[in-house]
Amino acid sequence: MEIQTYNLLNVGVGGQGVIRAIQILSWAALHEGFKVRTAETHGMAQRGGSVASYLRFGTEVEGPLIPRGETNVILAFEASEAVRNFNYAGTQTYFLINEKLIIPPMIHQQGLEYPTINQIRKFLNDVSKHIHFIPADDLAQKAGNKRAMNVVMLGVLVGMNQIPIKRDTIFNSIMNFIPKKTKEINMKAFESGIETGISIREEKNE
Amino acid sequence: MSKPKFIEDSPGEKVLLMGNEALARGILEAGVVIAAGYPGTPSSEILDTLADMVPYHPHLKLEWSINEKVGFEVAYGGSMSNVRSVACMKHVGVNVASDAFMTACYAGARGGMVLISADDPNCFSSQNEQDNRYFGLHALVPVFEPSNAQEAKDMIKYAFEFSEEFQSLVLFRTTTRLNHGRGDVILGEINNITREYSFDWDRSRWVCLPSHSRVLRVRLLERLEEISEFADRFPFNNLSTSKEKVKGVRYGFVAAGVPYAHLMDALDHYNLRGKVSILKLGLVYPPPKNLIKEFYRNVDEVLVIEELEPFLENILKQIAYEEGISKEVIIHGKDYFPQNGEFPAELYYDVLARFMDLDYKKQSVPEDMVIIPPRLPILCPGCSHRATFYALKKLEKKMRTKFVNSSDIGCYTLGVYKPLEGIDIQVCMGGSIGFANGISKIQSKENPVLAILGDSTFFHSGIPALINAVYNQNNMLVVILDNRSTSMTGFQDNPGTGIKITKEPGTRVVIEDLVKGCGVKPENIWVEDSNNISQMIEKLEQAVKTEGVRVFISRHLCSLIEANEYRKQGIKPPTIQIDPEKCIGCLVCVNQFGCPAIMFDEENKKAYIDQSMCRGCEVCIEVCPQNAIYKESE
Repeated sequence: MEIQTYNLLNVGVGGQGVIRAIQILSWAALHEGFKVRTAETHGMAQRGGSVASYLRFGTEVEGPLIPRGETNVILAFEASEAVRNFNYAGTQTYFLINEKLIIPPMIHQQGLEYPTINQIRKFLNDVSKHIHFIPADDLAQKAGNKRAMNVVMLGVLVGMNQIPIKRDTIFNSIMNFIPKKTKEINMKAFESGIETGISIREEKNE
Repeated sequence: MSKPKFIEDSPGEKVLLMGNEALARGILEAGVVIAAGYPGTPSSEILDTLADMVPYHPHLKLEWSINEKVGFEVAYGGSMSNVRSVACMKHVGVNVASDAFMTACYAGARGGMVLISADDPNCFSSQNEQDNRYFGLHALVPVFEPSNAQEAKDMIKYAFEFSEEFQSLVLFRTTTRLNHGRGDVILGEINNITREYSFDWDRSRWVCLPSHSRVLRVRLLERLEEISEFADRFPFNNLSTSKEKVKGVRYGFVAAGVPYAHLMDALDHYNLRGKVSILKLGLVYPPPKNLIKEFYRNVDEVLVIEELEPFLENILKQIAYEEGISKEVIIHGKDYFPQNGEFPAELYYDVLARFMDLDYKKQSVPEDMVIIPPRLPILCPGCSHRATFYALKKLEKKMRTKFVNSSDIGCYTLGVYKPLEGIDIQVCMGGSIGFANGISKIQSKENPVLAILGDSTFFHSGIPALINAVYNQNNMLVVILDNRSTSMTGFQDNPGTGIKITKEPGTRVVIEDLVKGCGVKPENIWVEDSNNISQMIEKLEQAVKTEGVRVFISRHLCSLIEANEYRKQGIKPPTIQIDPEKCIGCLVCVNQFGCPAIMFDEENKKAYIDQSMCRGCEVCIEVCPQNAIYKESE
């Protein structure tokens, strides 16, 4: 496939598996013959803080960071983190969002307000036409473990046809990076993500 | 996961590597024998990756050293013995190593010797954003800087060859986005170096006393001159000139490192590649003078793109001045780009538009912005540091005082945030005890002075400051948060665990014995389990109220490692619950203790435990004033 530049921004909260997800996708992109660049959050920012990882691939990619406004997909493992990074999106950007909201403990401690899912929904609908919320935690739980949420979201990305990489390549990459014991769970998680993605696509006629 | 390809000798194979993995691969390909350093983000994975290679490449001799200075010295000892050696550290680590580095540069390299400095523009995981290119200028040592993972691998491999050819140390500078970004890399051959490895007893070279150093300095200057002349032919410098004009002007760009990659993206965005002249530097010091002169002949206006200080900009302006063309060629840099932080990718679009009068539409921000309060990093669920800070805070309340908490670099620095607010100072590694030495000379007894630091930090540079306190009778309570790991940087071992970088057993250094050896009286040393809050408060009170230099070792394994150990051994940690009948919604557990596994249900006004996060440490049971938190029976 001839792709000049594909930009994916994966955001979430430290510990949700953002680094692993980017590792899986970037390995898959390499195996499809693309030139690949990523930038990841390691170290201090992983301790429950906001994390953002950038994935870029194609024929024309040099730098690791995505220019704001030029993101193809924002893959958000936590809903408010999608808002925090909204300015990476343009009007055509797909937002695939785990509908879970993780409220930082500091909000209670400092008596601050945190936006609700509905406020987030309303705001993002003004940003892009393609805002999709996915109950990824529940789907992962059904597959056998909440921690497979990131793999569910990768499934959604594939099911919605929003990444120019073959499904099998991503599947093989997942199997390459996860512990062997969790193979069954992750297979199920990936499947259910794909199904969800397909059904959203059919529903929206996209 | 199976053995990664980049550990094998498979030249020509294309793989995806993180910058730090690419550096490790390049080090392996170069035939390096000794690699040492101290963990620090964003550099840590270089040595971690090399450690993964040891079983397949047993010639590698690696260590996590006690600090960066020792790490540098270990590597330099290898260079003196004619083996290729590398020292890896974060930018501020070079400050620690600089005492050795600033004189080792005089004696130069025998076996190829490279110092990797991982700089951190934007302070992603650091206390400052110092620009270590200046260390090259300062030490008269060449500075290399790669712009992507492939170049990182190729350039570091070459650096050892270069180092031996010029008998010079090499400072290899990277930045976070290079270290922690992945890219496609084609592997090269692993060098098989056959030469005699031994020390050479050349006292005139290795003994840097005045009469020798004066001679060595002349040699150092000559070396730099030779390297300067070679710089025009440096294989990772590249000049591409263009005769084209854009709106009547011949534009030129100078860049190195990650900014070079983003410059190329921005030029592509405007379809300008090939229409401007570009000087790409892989050797950022010393400058390639003839290349620069050639560049100047092809341009009218120049933009130098570099994060942090105007290092290249000043060099370029100096050369233009020396050539007498500072009127003909106009050089820009920090008048377009900021001197702080990382440059976001769209900034290049914006600056190029302003510089070359191009069209660029900045994004508009929607009017009804939803404000998301910051989500800062926090101590993990079950972290024993939280328990120690909580105990200290309780004790302050009990004693109706405020301690001066001089602290240090590590996970526990996160104790600065609400609700713990257990840290008043943090500047540099080992500084906690150092500052407390001074503060204790001034501070009245009403506000006891505490130095709070982690196990690895204590080993790194806390020991001399502790001896200083004992010797000078600077009274303080030193609290060592011993979680048996260097956690923030990726759970590296340290002398306190006695496990070496290769996971082989080393010799454990017992902190309480060490402290005794530093001259702290045995009766002034406490060792307690951090997670036993009531015991902690009682013993901490004793320690605070005792005279002299005291050391309190608060010990509990890092909760992330503990959880991992449990998983491996098939042990299920206890399930902790909150009884909604007993919970009165007082929020003590949330607003004073603040474990992220404790959630609050706003509707019912009750706290509850998020079982997916809870590690079962049981500390919160003691925190709840209503006894509503309990351990579920099996």
